[in-house]
Amino acid sequence: MIVRVLIADDDPLIRDVLRDVLDDEPDLEVVAVAADAREAVELAGRHSPAVVVLDVRMPFGGGSHAAAQILRRAPGTRILAFSAYSDAGAVDDMRRAGVTDYLAKGVRNTELVAAVRRLAGG
Amino acid sequence: MHPDASRDNDLFRLLVQGVRDYAIFALDPGGHIVSWNAGAARIKGYAAEEIIGRHFSVFYPPEDVRSGKPEWELRTARAEGAIEDEGWRVRSDGTRFWANVIITALYDDSGELRGFGKVTRDMTERRRAEQQLTDRRRLLAHLVEAQERERQRIAWDVHDDTIQAMVAVDMRLQLLAGKLPAEHRATVDQLDGAVRASISRLRNLVFRVRPPGIERHGLRDSLAVYLADTSTAAEIRYALEREPGADAAITIFRICQEALTNVRKHARASSVLLELSTADRGFLVRVVDDGVGLPDLDPDAGHFGLIEMRERAESAGGWCTVLGRESGGTVVEFWLPDVRS
Repeated sequence: MIVRVLIADDDPLIRDVLRDVLDDEPDLEVVAVAADAREAVELAGRHSPAVVVLDVRMPFGGGSHAAAQILRRAPGTRILAFSAYSDAGAVDDMRRAGVTDYLAKGVRNTELVAAVRRLAGG
Repeated sequence: MHPDASRDNDLFRLLVQGVRDYAIFALDPGGHIVSWNAGAARIKGYAAEEIIGRHFSVFYPPEDVRSGKPEWELRTARAEGAIEDEGWRVRSDGTRFWANVIITALYDDSGELRGFGKVTRDMTERRRAEQQLTDRRRLLAHLVEAQERERQRIAWDVHDDTIQAMVAVDMRLQLLAGKLPAEHRATVDQLDGAVRASISRLRNLVFRVRPPGIERHGLRDSLAVYLADTSTAAEIRYALEREPGADAAITIFRICQEALTNVRKHARASSVLLELSTADRGFLVRVVDDGVGLPDLDPDAGHFGLIEMRERAESAGGWCTVLGRESGGTVVEFWLPDVRS
């Protein structure tokens, strides 16, 4: 089964490489790419991804706001926070918003891919 | 008069006349000058023959004469025995100097007022030096504040921009390595390793210069968090009677940070003690380790951030010193005044 993934990150370089890394896996498919929190909510509504890879600091409310909105509309969505911020405050915010897992930017691609698969499988 | 007493009187008169650093002269009960010495001539610019007989209000600026200050000072000296004042006085050429003045009422054995003794010291230089010191402190404080702001700005820029871009490059290189034939893969892996190492160094830089969050958590917790984040095994003895203000707190934090960085990098210590206590209406902080000691304790040496620690302390009006312990190890000790007291 192919896992449908939505990516949301305000950094275009990260956005593009995330898409290529995930699309490179035969069992993963990036169905949409958002550049801010509002777009993330909208595209999640339209594409019903199984997994959302979500940046934490983004325009229009940030990752925690987007996560809460997405889960309100589609509670089955699994969300992976992917952030440059690994401080306790940022992690807590995202956990409270219902994020399933939290990865700090800079992990190996293989770890990221494994985390997406783990979320889709759980 | 006894010959000895007469000699002593002469000696005393010569002493008073010869003193050059103080203007020492006498006034009659009405405030007219009756004696003059070398210091008075030097400081005030009048020769004895020009000034004797004139009223001492000639030394006061017009605004003080108008407000009756000279007479008021004599009345006060008479009532209380003496009066001390600091303020502007006028030289014979009309220029002003900053004076410390003591006027003492002189009574004879029968209790009758014979006049006043007046001792005046020119404090202009000292006042200027104090002013310069204050200006220098203020400038240093601004510099430290600007430095703090600037380094935080750099930290956020590096964090939000540079590191992000490098993370993207790193991910791209990993992706590329997987698609290359084996002979090129090693090269790309090497590149990837270099990028990852740079990211790690930049993260350390950001960590060092980021705002410590003292406003939110307080100094003690910020220090504890810093110790935990850097895996430094240290005991904090926090005995401040009053929480330092924001400026003092950030200075204390930064100096401790610098000292603890030295301990981590150079000291090979097995224990570190962070002692904060209240002393001399200020904050006394000691960072004590039991390591190998610093090889070069010359505070002017550019190593170990010693200059930065000292400048930060001095700009806050305090001091900082680094000592070797007899039992081995190093003590960084600094004190900052509690400027609110």
